[in-house]
Amino acid sequence: MKDKLEALLREGTAKIQAAQTENELQEVKGALLGKQGSITGLMKELPKLDVSLRPEMGKAVNNVKNLLTEQIEGRREELKLKASEISLDFDYTIPGTKPAIGGLHPITQMCYDLNDAFRSMGFEVFGGPEITSEYYAFDNLNFPPNHPARESMDTYWLEGADSGEANEKLCLRPHLTGDSVRYMMTHKPPYRFVYPGRVYRNETTDARHERAFFQYEALIVDKDFTYTAGKVMIKSILSKVFGQDVPVRMRAGFFPFVEPGFEIDMGCLVCGGKGCSVCKHVGWIEIMPGGTPHPNVLRAAGLDPDEYTGFYVNIGLDRLVMMRYGVDDVRLFHSTDLRFLKQFN
Amino acid sequence: MKLSLNWIKDYVKLPDDMDLTRLAYDLTMSTVEVEGAESLAESFDKIVVGEIKEVLPHPNADKLRVCKVDVGEEDIKDIVCGGSNLYAGEKVVVACPGAMVRWHGEGEPVEIKNAKLRGVQSFGMICASVEVGLADLFPAVEEHEIMDITSFDAKAGTPLAVALDLDDIILEIDNKSMTNRPDLWGHYGIARELAALYDLPLVEFDKYVPETTETYDVRIDDTERCPRYIGARVEGLSVKPSPFEMQSRIWRVGMRPINALVDVTNYVMLATGQPTHVFDSNHIIDHIEVRRAKDGEKLQLLNDKDLALSTDDLVIADAEGAVALAGVMGGAKDSVLPDTSSVILEVANFESKGVRRTALRYDNRTEASSRYEKAVDPERCDIALSLAMKLFAELYPDMKVTAFNDQYPNKLVKKEIDVELEWLDRRLGKRIPKEVVEKKLGTMGFEVTFTDEKMHIVVPTWRSTGDVSIKADIMEEVARMYGYENFEATQITTSFDGAINQLDTDLVRKVKEYLAFRCNMQEIFTYPWMTEEFVNALLPSTDGILALATPPSPSEKYIKSSLLPNICKAIVKNERNFDEFDIFEEAQIFLDKDYTENYKNEKLPCQKRHLGCAFVGKSDDIDNLFRRAKGVIEMMPRYTHMEGFTFERNEKPYWADNVVWLNICLGGQKIGDMALLSKKAALACGIKVLSAVLVELDMDAFVPFKSRTNRYTHLPEFPMNDYDVSFLVDSMVKWDEIYACIMSKKNELLHDARFVDEYKGKQIPEGKKSVTVRLVIGSSEKTLTGAEIEAVANSVVKRLNKTFDAGVRTV
Repeated sequence: MKDKLEALLREGTAKIQAAQTENELQEVKGALLGKQGSITGLMKELPKLDVSLRPEMGKAVNNVKNLLTEQIEGRREELKLKASEISLDFDYTIPGTKPAIGGLHPITQMCYDLNDAFRSMGFEVFGGPEITSEYYAFDNLNFPPNHPARESMDTYWLEGADSGEANEKLCLRPHLTGDSVRYMMTHKPPYRFVYPGRVYRNETTDARHERAFFQYEALIVDKDFTYTAGKVMIKSILSKVFGQDVPVRMRAGFFPFVEPGFEIDMGCLVCGGKGCSVCKHVGWIEIMPGGTPHPNVLRAAGLDPDEYTGFYVNIGLDRLVMMRYGVDDVRLFHSTDLRFLKQFN
Repeated sequence: MKLSLNWIKDYVKLPDDMDLTRLAYDLTMSTVEVEGAESLAESFDKIVVGEIKEVLPHPNADKLRVCKVDVGEEDIKDIVCGGSNLYAGEKVVVACPGAMVRWHGEGEPVEIKNAKLRGVQSFGMICASVEVGLADLFPAVEEHEIMDITSFDAKAGTPLAVALDLDDIILEIDNKSMTNRPDLWGHYGIARELAALYDLPLVEFDKYVPETTETYDVRIDDTERCPRYIGARVEGLSVKPSPFEMQSRIWRVGMRPINALVDVTNYVMLATGQPTHVFDSNHIIDHIEVRRAKDGEKLQLLNDKDLALSTDDLVIADAEGAVALAGVMGGAKDSVLPDTSSVILEVANFESKGVRRTALRYDNRTEASSRYEKAVDPERCDIALSLAMKLFAELYPDMKVTAFNDQYPNKLVKKEIDVELEWLDRRLGKRIPKEVVEKKLGTMGFEVTFTDEKMHIVVPTWRSTGDVSIKADIMEEVARMYGYENFEATQITTSFDGAINQLDTDLVRKVKEYLAFRCNMQEIFTYPWMTEEFVNALLPSTDGILALATPPSPSEKYIKSSLLPNICKAIVKNERNFDEFDIFEEAQIFLDKDYTENYKNEKLPCQKRHLGCAFVGKSDDIDNLFRRAKGVIEMMPRYTHMEGFTFERNEKPYWADNVVWLNICLGGQKIGDMALLSKKAALACGIKVLSAVLVELDMDAFVPFKSRTNRYTHLPEFPMNDYDVSFLVDSMVKWDEIYACIMSKKNELLHDARFVDEYKGKQIPEGKKSVTVRLVIGSSEKTLTGAEIEAVANSVVKRLNKTFDAGVRTV
């Protein structure tokens, strides 16, 4: 009987663990502890034993009964927790419900990235008016009186204010540089600021040319600032924006409001400088003009150019954004087409 | 601009082993952008001289011949050809298998392969000039003519590039990179830069000294516009082709050879950057005068354009009338003609802006005008004259100058600049040895004299027309020739006065980020100009709106006085693809009023930063659309930390629906509107199906909080209870009134009343609506019992019944 009891405990334990549902477990329980159950059967055999053996065996049977009961209850809890109320045909591959997502214009995003980068280097963000006088658009910036850019083919002059003195002639700003003078006139040096914004040029448009575009200028004015420090500044900013070390080179270039002037190129990120169609096989991409502010510009701001110097860059954001995402038509930026704009969210 | 490296080598002896990539790089870094450097010989790869030994008929085609051709290989090749000028002994151009040619001069180059032509195997191809890109140098007289180079003494098998001496490198310079450098627009100018870069000597031109004592009659009427005019009568000439080498050089850099007389003038311009011109001297009556054109004066140009001139144009004229448009183009009647045997050579200087104006006025920019526009210096006439006379003498050994005049009334003054050495060191961040500075500047023509603390510099004439005038220019010359890459990186130092705190700038960004990321709206950019149909649809009139003098198109002359016209245009554009979308734009608006002088010396019109929004959705649920929009505006101040808005109804926007509109106010001032776009305006815009709630706000009026202003409130110790009450009121009663009524009597236990919903329709009597309100009831001292809560609710219900006849049972 002792052997029988042990075998029963072993088999019972196995059956309990094998039960996969509460119903199965209930069946196992019936087979062990029910009226016709094996343990019950053993209990019934107890009176047939010799009296001297009865207490010990009774204890043993009870013990097994309790062990099995405990195991059944334990298994029942386990099964309860494992059970799901959801049927097995639940399709977990159906796409999730997307939260509605709006977004900033890709150019705004780039502008804010640059703002963050420049502000981390102690630059202030400044903005000026989009309608400007000829005086601030050109005269202050060392554009000679008959510079071609002043002609109507390049600049949007305002009706009724397209002639007269330079401070009366008004136009949509063709570039941001006038704002640098505005800032310097109203602040005390040394200066360290950026002035992003929209600018307008009267041009024929195509995939690479727009009438309205977004520029980002930065200016440092201080005593004894060398152009090589400017190079360090540009490198730091670009590396932050593109998330990798970006090679930068500065070469001779000409712009009326800087002297010396530079064309600033960054190493082509597409081919890593080896040469590809994006960089016209030279490994470099022209991204911004820059240089030392022209003495006349500093004078216009009331500074002594012998004492002060500095560094200036003008970043074309449209171009930079086109490079960031591979956009091949600049006109898309003003298209207001949500199918385009939503790709950048 | 294209440059021939061989031509440049006439003026500066570049080492034979000069690395071309290096040269292009150095020139790009220091002077101008080199966009390409192509080997001319490479484009004639596998194209050789062939000698025709025999011309046989083609067995299967009348128009084709089978030529036995010696191409310098052991065996004589059979080449099938349809040329009309084939003969034994002719030297021809053979494209061997593997060469690239353009079939009949059209399309992309294709590779030549051994092939059977009408059953006869042909080795490569005998080419017409157009097929190897040489039509300008070897023009075909007849259609099927092949290129005959018998006159070139070349053996069969010689590469064509060698036979024609085309082994050259063509540099392509980006014109934009040298608009400020009039001295660079010719081979000599670039040679001068290379001489300075590599410390090499530059070849000088001899000064031309006329032998004749007869003065040619030149009269300059406008010395401002024409600082210098050299006129020389040259006799003993004729119209004939120029030597092949001269033609070849002109052709290599992109111009077409014409005849020897014209080619000389073009050659001089390409070499020195100084345009020149020749007139048939038999056609110039009496004298040359340089004067302003008479109003309406007629002139036919060399390109047959007939002009009626303006008094702003400068012309070259003789006793009878205009013969050329100064600095732009010669006249058709009096320039080189087929029988020209003597000419008046013009080497002159014209003022840049005048030339530009004239060229633009007649849309007639030329190689000459584009050079004059850059401000060529008058002294360059000397080297151009020297070269022109040298070439005439070479081409016409019998030529004679029989009259000469050099009128130079407006002499150019060389710029003089003093540069303190200490200043130069400080700006460059390092000291560059005196000898280096002197050598580099010297090669470029600057005269440098050193004293202890400074250098005195006399700028050469060719850099004195505006390019170099101040000491910063000298610093640039030194730095770029020393090499920008030879300066070590310098750290940026800074001193901190304090953290940057820009509340207004930050507020704009916060508002935009709130709309984009919290409210799921999409930012758009639009142009500053508005389209007329949208202006008419949305704005009461065009009074006070600024306009462009030269708009992008006639219907886009007005610039934004409101952001809404362009936003509506964006709605029309997107209505095709989406049936629900919310967009916004932040941009400047402009008004023709309130002119103020914010900065010295300029009075500008009113310009403000506006925010425009559109909430667009289907037309069947305006209530929801409106509440979506209103929620965005209501929550904006809280998220962006600024003074809150209030809504009022004082002034219906022109474009708004008669019922659904609000004015948005701040501190009692109206700063914007929010309304449903009226049906009429929507239709006028072309918005066909959807409805839009529009918002426009003056962002300049926003007042950012200096810091966060809300205070912490203690969490309630005892539970708050929501208690919903529904009741019927007249449908015209507004929520504001209901709320005011509920809260009108102070009750410490009643904390708030919140709108839950509103219902009109079935089961509700006509003219009534059912409103559900959630009362928030609780005590700070204890947990309220059901009876206590109901007592509060009942007092509210009583008030509602009394005020609105709301008909709710008390509990």
